[in-house]
Amino acid sequence: MSVSNKNSVTIFIDDQPYQVSTEDNLLAGVLSQKLNLPYFCWHPSMGSVGACRQCAVTQFQDENDQRGRLVMACTTPVTDGMRISIKNAHASEFREQVIAAMMTNHPHDCPVCAEGGECHLQDMTVMTGHSAREYQGTKRTFTNQYLGELVGHEMNRCITCYRCTRFYNDYAGGKDFGVYGSKNQVYFGRQTDGALESEFSGNLVEVCPTGVFTNKAFSAHYTRKWDLQSAPSVCSHCSVGCNLSIGERYGSVRRVMNRYNPELNGYFLCDRGRFGIGYVNGEERLRQVKGISQQSPVQLSTLDIAKALSHFRLKNFIGIGSARASLEANFYLKNIVGNRNFSVGYNDSEMQAAAQHAQLMQLGRTPNLAEIETSDFILIVGEDITQTAARMALSVRQALRNAAIAKASSIGIPSWQDSAVRTIGGTLLSPLFSLNSTTTKLDDVAEQALLIPVERMSLCLQALEKLLSLGNKKIVEKHINEHFLQDPFLQEQLSSSEQHFVITVYQGLCRANKPMLISGTSLVNAELLESIAKLMLSFKQDNGITEPGLIITPPYSNSVGALSLLDEHSLSIEQVLTKLSEQVDNEKLLKLQGVIVLEQELAKCSENQIQQLRALAETLIVLDHSENRLTKLADIVLPVAAVSEGDGHYINYQGRAQKFTQVHPPVLPIQESWRWLDSIADTLGIKVSVENTSTAPLSALAGGSANISSKAKTMTKNTSCQSLLQLHQFFAQHYPSWPELIADIDSESNDRATARMSHRASGRTSQMANISVHESKTTQKSDDDFRFSMEGASIRQTSNMPFAWAPGWNSNQAIGQYQEHINGTLTQHSKANFIAISADLANNTHWQLVNKVASDSDKIDYSESVPNSLSYVQQQSIYFSEWQAALTPEFKMLKQSNQLFISNVTAEKMGVKSRQWCKVVFSATNEQKQLVSQTVIGQVMVLANLPPSLVFGNFPLCQSLTHQLEMKITAAEAQEKTDHLSQFNDDVLAAKASKEAVLKRLKENDQTIPIRLVSGGLNDA
Amino acid sequence: MSDSWQSSNIKPLTEWVNLQQPPTYSEYCQHGGYQGAKHAVLEHTPNEVLEIVKNSGLKGRGGAGFPTGMKWSFVPMFAEDDENAPENKYLVANADEMEPGTFKDRLLLEGIPHQLVEAMIIAGYTIGANKAYIFLRGEYHLAAKRLQQAIDEAYQENWLGEKIQGSKYSLELYVHCSAGRYICGEETALINALEGKRANPRAKPPFPQVAGLFGKPTIVNNVETLSNLPHILKNGIEWFQAIAPNSDAGSKIYGACGRVKTPGLWELPMGPTLREILFDYAGGMQDGLNFRGLLPGGASTDFLVAEHLDTPMDYDSIAKVGSRLGTGGLIVLDDKNCPVAMVLNLMRFFAQESCGWCTPCRDGTPWAVEVLTRIEHGKGRIEDLDTLAKLCDFMWIGKTHCALAPGAVEPLRSALKYFHDDFLQHIEQGCCRYNPESLAKRTQVATAGRAVS
Repeated sequence: MSVSNKNSVTIFIDDQPYQVSTEDNLLAGVLSQKLNLPYFCWHPSMGSVGACRQCAVTQFQDENDQRGRLVMACTTPVTDGMRISIKNAHASEFREQVIAAMMTNHPHDCPVCAEGGECHLQDMTVMTGHSAREYQGTKRTFTNQYLGELVGHEMNRCITCYRCTRFYNDYAGGKDFGVYGSKNQVYFGRQTDGALESEFSGNLVEVCPTGVFTNKAFSAHYTRKWDLQSAPSVCSHCSVGCNLSIGERYGSVRRVMNRYNPELNGYFLCDRGRFGIGYVNGEERLRQVKGISQQSPVQLSTLDIAKALSHFRLKNFIGIGSARASLEANFYLKNIVGNRNFSVGYNDSEMQAAAQHAQLMQLGRTPNLAEIETSDFILIVGEDITQTAARMALSVRQALRNAAIAKASSIGIPSWQDSAVRTIGGTLLSPLFSLNSTTTKLDDVAEQALLIPVERMSLCLQALEKLLSLGNKKIVEKHINEHFLQDPFLQEQLSSSEQHFVITVYQGLCRANKPMLISGTSLVNAELLESIAKLMLSFKQDNGITEPGLIITPPYSNSVGALSLLDEHSLSIEQVLTKLSEQVDNEKLLKLQGVIVLEQELAKCSENQIQQLRALAETLIVLDHSENRLTKLADIVLPVAAVSEGDGHYINYQGRAQKFTQVHPPVLPIQESWRWLDSIADTLGIKVSVENTSTAPLSALAGGSANISSKAKTMTKNTSCQSLLQLHQFFAQHYPSWPELIADIDSESNDRATARMSHRASGRTSQMANISVHESKTTQKSDDDFRFSMEGASIRQTSNMPFAWAPGWNSNQAIGQYQEHINGTLTQHSKANFIAISADLANNTHWQLVNKVASDSDKIDYSESVPNSLSYVQQQSIYFSEWQAALTPEFKMLKQSNQLFISNVTAEKMGVKSRQWCKVVFSATNEQKQLVSQTVIGQVMVLANLPPSLVFGNFPLCQSLTHQLEMKITAAEAQEKTDHLSQFNDDVLAAKASKEAVLKRLKENDQTIPIRLVSGGLNDA
Repeated sequence: MSDSWQSSNIKPLTEWVNLQQPPTYSEYCQHGGYQGAKHAVLEHTPNEVLEIVKNSGLKGRGGAGFPTGMKWSFVPMFAEDDENAPENKYLVANADEMEPGTFKDRLLLEGIPHQLVEAMIIAGYTIGANKAYIFLRGEYHLAAKRLQQAIDEAYQENWLGEKIQGSKYSLELYVHCSAGRYICGEETALINALEGKRANPRAKPPFPQVAGLFGKPTIVNNVETLSNLPHILKNGIEWFQAIAPNSDAGSKIYGACGRVKTPGLWELPMGPTLREILFDYAGGMQDGLNFRGLLPGGASTDFLVAEHLDTPMDYDSIAKVGSRLGTGGLIVLDDKNCPVAMVLNLMRFFAQESCGWCTPCRDGTPWAVEVLTRIEHGKGRIEDLDTLAKLCDFMWIGKTHCALAPGAVEPLRSALKYFHDDFLQHIEQGCCRYNPESLAKRTQVATAGRAVS
């Protein structure tokens, strides 16, 4: 879709000249001028199809043509000097008639429809001026379907604009939804009831201009958009960092909407980002402190905390931070405990992978999602991005259309003519190559998707590296098969399918103008990342091949933030445990009082390791927002604000720092983890570099100078940080490496804070009228760019809009009024802020890879027998792989029963068939030379193209059982299957009960609005 | 169906039609069959055949009347070893005859299937198509069977398949039976249906000649149009142009249905008058009935009335009097049948057949049905006539995605013009004067003292 202002020509709209780009269609051009022209089926990301006929305007041949003819603006190209009229009576009447026609069947649902108040149909109806009903007949009706727990279905409201199927099927590649029927009984739904399978189904809520598809969780505890209080936020579930608008009312989070960012998420989110906010209201939320006695029963004060922590004055702790905690909190923790006592909760393998990741981030600028969408060649290695960085997978799908778009362009069809481009393109796709250990949803659009264990991926990349080092592509490509035949490494080490893969990837790269290489850290394999680094180097050679953009997607919202804090002294979890146990043995060591755990559930640690941590730490202080193994064992538990309840920054996969803003202050004692750490720092002190008394920029943190002093001294802290700004100022004062994240407040501009509520927010509603009609004072907050009120600067003056609204545009389509031109940057936009990621972590030899000598075990045994040594990979799941999202009750209800994917060779040997219920026993020898085994009941699924040495499934196996394992499969007894299924059913029912319990609690709380007069620390009421 | 063929100058298309037992391959050859294909494939280059067809003046017989040669000229042609050449090019015969009142193609498909097969070889050769489909209306079971038999015979005789008759040209021909939808008569909707997609028409550009079936160059032609090709190639351009006395070349199969004495089909030189077809060939109205009006080219054309009966049935002349030649099959209205009911019946058909893509057709046609139904059942109001007129404007050309709705509107708007009194009568008297039951009800109701609004 067009984003530029080049090729600008003059056109005349109602005799007024305007500058419009010839890359846009007429509708986009008109809307870019902020003129009102109604539309339904056109979408800025999905282009034009000409179905609804709503955008009709009159086009004149020249100045003398008085009559003109009606054209549909969305399918009309912009041409120099064209003359059109929007106001022309013929066109306006026609547009009004189109609404009237849609209204013949549209039910009078507005008062009870969730869309009301942010409904695009309402807005367009008002825009056309249609008001009187002439149709006297009956309305056609439909039965609705159960489409899952996330998206509601009310087909009577449908105006048949086709946007839902165009998004779900064409844009997002979904298969289980579609359009049925004909005439005025067209039906959008599934063949049978059932949860929508696409990871992007939630976008139907925003894409549908009426209330056919609604946010079910939002509808269950509903409020009108104009009553919502919103703030600009960032998704807390993965490293893409999509921008969100989170809305709350009366202290409970209600829903997440997309917040337009042209470089990242654009107009769409994934379901985890949209619905994964459920954990904020979840039953597992921690709402009270543990281990701190309060003076006053009603309120916890800072004195209480000071008293409780007073035993630890200036004592040493180990700090375990987390890739999902804010940058501020992690940074603070590191400087409280000192960089020699700091971990981010990674185990040894993850630290090795992180060292590689840090080095990879030195290679150059990481492309954003919009740039990925312009790529003509994509190679994905070892990462199922549809599950781990879903929004990126959606962008990859758009990139694959570039071949078809180019083909259409060659015969003069612009990219916005969506149906024409798809007709011309047919099944033509730009090349996508995928090297993975599990099947992924992108496999069906990949030119080749090779399933191999992670060890072999490195070999394939090495082979590719060899080809790239052979010389100029023109010569190498001609003799490529000979090169392969001559090289013993390639011949012996790679299977024929791997060879074929490498050769076709090479050939694709030869032709690519804008290639991308996408990988991630889910497989926790440092060797793979190292082979990627070596591969990237080979592009620098003189081979005429364009260097690809490199994207590494770590798992969590602030993984890169955590990475930026790791240095050569940072500890892995194993090292933490060792350090704790060493002090037990050696009294001379500096005594460690205990461990402070910051928002880290240590999911990868075994039960033994957790117990060990508890046993070795004299004092265990845990800060988190929801219950987990550690909070249950801790001495002190401090309840932490979720992403909607506080301020902070996450660093996305590119190193881009993005601020999430408090939507509403949480009920005390819940507060941001950096506030808790501020109190802790009062007692424990902070570590600063010994030399840091002058203005010389030395610090105890990661950063380039060779004179780094490794000695840090503990300093008592004098100030208390009441706001994020004060915290940043504090950091800047004491730690020169702290990045500049908050721009100075520009005193010349309108410095009124932006209202979090719309100007229509009912200051007084009847919700509490039975108790009191008095509305309390609005919450005050210092150094806030926003106000907890409808009073404040209009959203049009800020680059971070809490919600999208414009006069006449009540739905999210209003964003068009704030873009410089359709699909472009926002008129108010601040420059993206990228922080530096150093590779100091790699200086620690402990995390460096030992060069492996090629052993016999690397050679593949191509005999058809089942190898004794298997590896198991657990499939990633957008609903279950990330701990916070997995707490959402609606996601828990999507749990599937156990499935294990095996090769047909294995199936034959074990005598089982596909879909058969089996008992699978996995066994292996762990590092302590003990035999570990685990039994799983589940269905085996046979995949013909799976190598016999690899199996994958949707259930977890303990750490020792992922590699070098043995597997025995037998048919499951009927009772075993029944037991498993009944347990599974119980889990799903429990999830449903949990959802209902949450809803009940939220509704009960509707009459107990928690009012915070000041949003600050504990001392503020 | 008339058995006696009126003798006219030449009837190339129907001369050897035999509905009981269509000509076999050898019988067809005895009548001069496959001579045209032989000339084309073995003695001319594709470009030469294209020039012949262009110069012949053959126009599309499916209703649009577009010059066939010009349509073909937009198909890109490539040299044999050109690597830019698409892997396939397609020829499609539009045998989805679903226009109400039209059954001419059925005659050809059931009566002389080899003629179409030969025609498709010629057309395929000219445009460089290597695959061809006959998109056949699914209800035409007999035609399906007979076409497949003819195709099988043609394969056997090496007129289809690899290297036809020793030439370098190969053609695969398939019969595809549709699932039955009027909109599939629209060529781009047909292409979508053939691809297995929903039968919505496509936006143009791109045109099918450039990107059609599966995104490849495609030509879609009507059965009758194609059927002229063997004869043009065999007998030459002068012969073809000499058939008709006016500028429209060749013969056309005209038809008539309704309460006429001898409804049927007649192949005639282009341009007999409406009166000739109605009275000379169709035998005039049945006894006791008088002529009221007719739709000259199938359901989606405007009514013409007595004053127009001397109009020649060619594309331009019919257009000049405010209608369309369309498929050239008359639907005749007599004076004992209600025009409102007729239009309601037609509008119900169009509303049912709307594909549901664009708002005016999808929501406008049922709206028109609602209004017409009320009027027909005596519950109409005077404002309804304004509503109908507005709907006619709402669904006109340029406002919809394809021509179905404008076609649906043509009988309605012309009926409002020519049979205005009937509409008024229904509204003012609250009944249909052609329908004795309705009349009786109204009389009862009137005597019961109901105020007619």
